[in-house]
Amino acid sequence: MDLMHHSSTFLLPTIPLHHRPSLTYALVVLNQTLPRFAPLLWKHAQLRLCADGGANRVFDEMPLLFPEEDASDVRRRYKPDVINGDMDSIRKEVLDFYRSLGTKIIDKSHDQDTTDLHKCITYIWDFAPDANKSSLCILVAGALGGRYDHEMGNLNVLYCFSSLRIVLLSDDSLIYLLPRTHHHEIHIQTSVEGPHCGLIPIGVPSRSSTTTGLQWNLNDSIPDYSFLLSLAAKL
Amino acid sequence: MIAMDLMHHSSCFLLPTIPLQRRPSLTYALLVLNQNLPRFTPLLWNHAQLHLCADGGANRLYDEMPLFFPQEDASDVRRRYKPDVIKGDMDSIRREVLEFYASLGTEIVDKSHDQDTTDLHKCVTYIRDSASGLDKSNLCVLVVGALGGRFDQEMGNLNVICRFSSMRIVLLSNDSLIHLLPRTYCHEIHIQTSVEGPHCGLIPIGTPSKSSTTTGLQWDLNNTAMEFGGLVSTSNIVKEEKVTVQSDCDLLWTISIKKL
Repeated sequence: MDLMHHSSTFLLPTIPLHHRPSLTYALVVLNQTLPRFAPLLWKHAQLRLCADGGANRVFDEMPLLFPEEDASDVRRRYKPDVINGDMDSIRKEVLDFYRSLGTKIIDKSHDQDTTDLHKCITYIWDFAPDANKSSLCILVAGALGGRYDHEMGNLNVLYCFSSLRIVLLSDDSLIYLLPRTHHHEIHIQTSVEGPHCGLIPIGVPSRSSTTTGLQWNLNDSIPDYSFLLSLAAKL
Repeated sequence: MIAMDLMHHSSCFLLPTIPLQRRPSLTYALLVLNQNLPRFTPLLWNHAQLHLCADGGANRLYDEMPLFFPQEDASDVRRRYKPDVIKGDMDSIRREVLEFYASLGTEIVDKSHDQDTTDLHKCVTYIRDSASGLDKSNLCVLVVGALGGRFDQEMGNLNVICRFSSMRIVLLSNDSLIHLLPRTYCHEIHIQTSVEGPHCGLIPIGTPSKSSTTTGLQWDLNNTAMEFGGLVSTSNIVKEEKVTVQSDCDLLWTISIKKL
């Protein structure tokens, strides 16, 4: 099996130049309180999307992370490239504000079959050239906590797009899928994450899995189901 | 089709007074874990016959119950909301909190030697096996502070309700409640529209479901397959006051709690 490398370099102030894997980041902001490191993720991302009410969060809360600056300046600086979704949560003045700054507005209100996160991931997938898809990593803020059915819907998106690197982030934890099709090496950035972690076989029981490097390693043979990896964030 | 027993569910514990019912009524135990107390914690406390804190949950009770009663003296509130038991590995509870409740007669059960099970697991086991004077024939364990926070802990808590699938255990946060619908029953969920809904979901948490059927939802399932990576019923809407669910696997039911 091929080896897949993982590293939370997107939580570091600067991403080391020759760091492997070299990834292109996209940031999706969902409708929950912004994690305190949202500006850091924004800085690393080349594409920034808000899913519907996520735009309210950027508008309202980015200025709070820069209390010494003028709120309008902060809002202009943290302008999303795209706002996508069914538009039932975004406030009219927020929509008008970003539209006037040139943000692309994609109204998917006719589509009630998929979640806002799903719509955003689909957009990114369609937007990214094929050549770059394997080096793409989508960072999602606001996918955990809040309404539990939303959280589960967001977890399901990881499974539906299992060939894409998608990381769900909250103030406390980050999670991503470890597809069963690969062996995995996770390079821990001890300055920003850990020590608490977990491996979760969501949706399908795993008959066997093996790990190294943990306090309580799993010791069986090859994993035959996809896992969620959960790491505590310590910024 | 195999005839299955019916299991009834109702979030009466979120109502100010629990209505008298024809069906046998439930005895509630309340378990407080180490997260911010949801705003309806005093209400759950009133309905419960047994009140436990898991380790740092005692800090939450001590610090945050007085905040719900700002016009009252903090000490009075703390005495009124005194847990019967504090249990767990004791690595989070503050010394002064432990001593305060111990001096009031709270039973302290120290399981610091047991690192193999979570605090929730220890407490559910205690409720099931040890708690004396509690009518366990129709028991429902209400848990606050099990959702949100560190994701690996949330998943560990989810695993506890899956493992103790023959017990009624409800996990509650400010936004949602969740509980298991074991596959061995047909389920009737009586929606308390004044306090919950309309957003709901059904989640095949442990194994894919080849067939699930519901009534009473905006998007009902009809012998529908569900699995992670495919269809998971989320952002559904409760349409009737009674929702029925039948499935070939254990499903997690979740419904939003109204912000009153």
